[in-house]
Amino acid sequence: MRGIITFIQRDFLRWERGRVAVISALIMPAAWLIFVGLALPVQFTGNYLDFITPGILVMTMLSAGLSGGALLMFDKILGFLNKFLALPTPRESILFGKILFITGRGIIQTTIILIIAVIIGASLLQPLQYVMIYIVLFAFGILISSFATTVALYLEDHDSYAAFNTMISMPLFFTSSALMPYDVMPGWLRAIAVLNPLSFAIDAIRDIGYGIIPVLPLATLLGIACFVIVLCSHVFRKVTI
Amino acid sequence: MSIIETNELVKYYDDLCAVDHVTLSIDKEVFGLLGPNGSGKTTTVLMLTTLLRPTSGNASICGHDIQKHAERVRSAISYVPQDMAVDIKLTGRENVMFFAKLYGIPSPKDKADEALALMELSERADDLTRTYSGGMRRRLELAQALVHEPSALFLDEPTLGLDVAARKKIWEHIGSLSRRGMSIFVTTHYMDEADRFCDRVGIINRGKIAACGSPEELKTNLMNDIITVRIEGMCQPPDLEGVWYVGRQEDEISFTAENGKEALPALAETLTRNNVKVRAMSLREPTLDDVFLQAVGQQEEPHGFADSKFRMMLRRRR
Repeated sequence: MRGIITFIQRDFLRWERGRVAVISALIMPAAWLIFVGLALPVQFTGNYLDFITPGILVMTMLSAGLSGGALLMFDKILGFLNKFLALPTPRESILFGKILFITGRGIIQTTIILIIAVIIGASLLQPLQYVMIYIVLFAFGILISSFATTVALYLEDHDSYAAFNTMISMPLFFTSSALMPYDVMPGWLRAIAVLNPLSFAIDAIRDIGYGIIPVLPLATLLGIACFVIVLCSHVFRKVTI
Repeated sequence: MSIIETNELVKYYDDLCAVDHVTLSIDKEVFGLLGPNGSGKTTTVLMLTTLLRPTSGNASICGHDIQKHAERVRSAISYVPQDMAVDIKLTGRENVMFFAKLYGIPSPKDKADEALALMELSERADDLTRTYSGGMRRRLELAQALVHEPSALFLDEPTLGLDVAARKKIWEHIGSLSRRGMSIFVTTHYMDEADRFCDRVGIINRGKIAACGSPEELKTNLMNDIITVRIEGMCQPPDLEGVWYVGRQEDEISFTAENGKEALPALAETLTRNNVKVRAMSLREPTLDDVFLQAVGQQEEPHGFADSKFRMMLRRRR
C-alpha cells in the first residue's frame, strides 16, 4: 500500500510540473460542452446541456485514461521500470499505482468540466447524486485506464499506441449514448450503442440525474473493470519477468 | 559464504545462449565483469537482480536464492541500469526521497540527505534534475541506490557516455563504497578502467567466463613482456623459443616473451626472413587489453541476427 501511494505521488508531481498538459487535456471536453452543448438545436429535450454533460464527463475520463495508458510503457522504454522491479516493493504496486493515478487525474479533470457545466447552465444536483456520479466515474476510470495500460504494455511501442489511441477514441464516443437518446438513434447505431461500455457509464450518470439508482449499469461496469484488471496484471506479470 | 554466488548459471534466448554456465563468487570487493557488446554481461546482471529468470543453474545473494526468495534478494541489493533513468521534472532530493520511501526507510528525509551528501550533490539537491550533467545524473542514481544501504550493488556500464573527469569521480565513489563494506558488481567494456579500479575481474565472451582473477594476477599469468608488431599483409606466427603468439587485431600482432629486449631483434629477423613486412615494433608491460585479447581471441562484432535469415532477406529483395 505504501508503495502504491509513493508511485502515485511521483506521477502527480510529474504531471503537475508538466503545466501545459494539465490545461490542454481540458480544452477538448470544454469545447464540446460549450460549442455542442449550448449551440446544437435539438428537439428531443429542453435542456440539451443537461443531456450531454454525462457524455462529456465520461469523454473526459476516456481521454484521460487513454492518454495515461502510455505512462507505464514509457517507464518501461526509458528504463524506470527495471529500476522499480528491482526494488523490494511488491511489483503489483507499480501497476496499481499507475492505474489509480490515471483514474485520479481523470477525476480531477472531470471535476473541472463539471464545474464549467454548472457555470454555463447545467442544473445543480443533490450532494448524494454527485457522490454517486463520482463512484460511476471512478469505476469507469479504473476500467479504461487498466485497459489502456494493457494495450500499451502489449504493443511496446509509442507510435503504435498513439495510432491505437486515435483510432478508438472518437468511434467509441460517437457510438455511445453520449450525444442522443436511444430512441432517436438509427437502429444500427442503437445496436452498437447498447453494447458500448461508455454507454453504461453515461446511462448510469443520467439515471442518477433523474433520481434513479443505476444498479445494473454500475454492476456491469464494475464487472468489466474487474475482468480487465485481472487481464492487465496478467500481461504485466508476463512482460516484467 | 560469499555475498554473491552463482552456480552454473545459464540463460537461453530461444536458441541463442546468452549466458553459458557462469560460476562466480564475489565477496566484499569491486568485481568487474568485462566483455564486448553482446557477450552476456547485462543478461547476467538482470538474472542476479531478479529481473530475468535463468534457464538453469542458480545463484544466491547474501544467502538468499534469486528465484525462491526474490523479494529478500531485492531488499539486499540495489541495481543501477545502463539507461540513466532519473525523473527530469523532479529535483535531485525528490528523486532520492522517492526511492527512500519505496525502500520503506523509517526516516527517508535524513537518509536521502546523507546519500546526496555522500555523492557530493547536496548543493544542487533542490534543482530540477533536468539541469544536471551526465555525471551528476549518474551520481544521483548512485545516491538512489545507496539510500537503503544495500549489501550488494549492481552497476551496469556506470561510466558509459561520461567524460574523463566524470568517469574518474564515479570510480572513486565506487571505491569508497567498497571500503564501507559493500560488495560491488560492475559491468564495463573499458579495460583500462577495470584494470585501475577493480579488485577482481571476470572476462566474459559469448556467455562464457574466459578468465577470472585480480588484474595483476591475470597480467602476471600472461608472462612478462608484450611485443606488438605492426605488419603489412598476412603472416604465419613464427616459431621462436621463448616467444609466444597472443593474437592479432587488424594489422597488429602481439607476442609475449620471457625476455622482451632479447626477443625483439630475433623476432624482427625471423619475420623478415618469412617475407613479412614489419612496419613498427614495440615492447611494453602487459595490460588487461592483452589478457582480454588472449582470453577471447580475435574480437568480432557479434551477430545480432541470424545469418541465414539475412541472406534469405537479400535474396527476396532481388
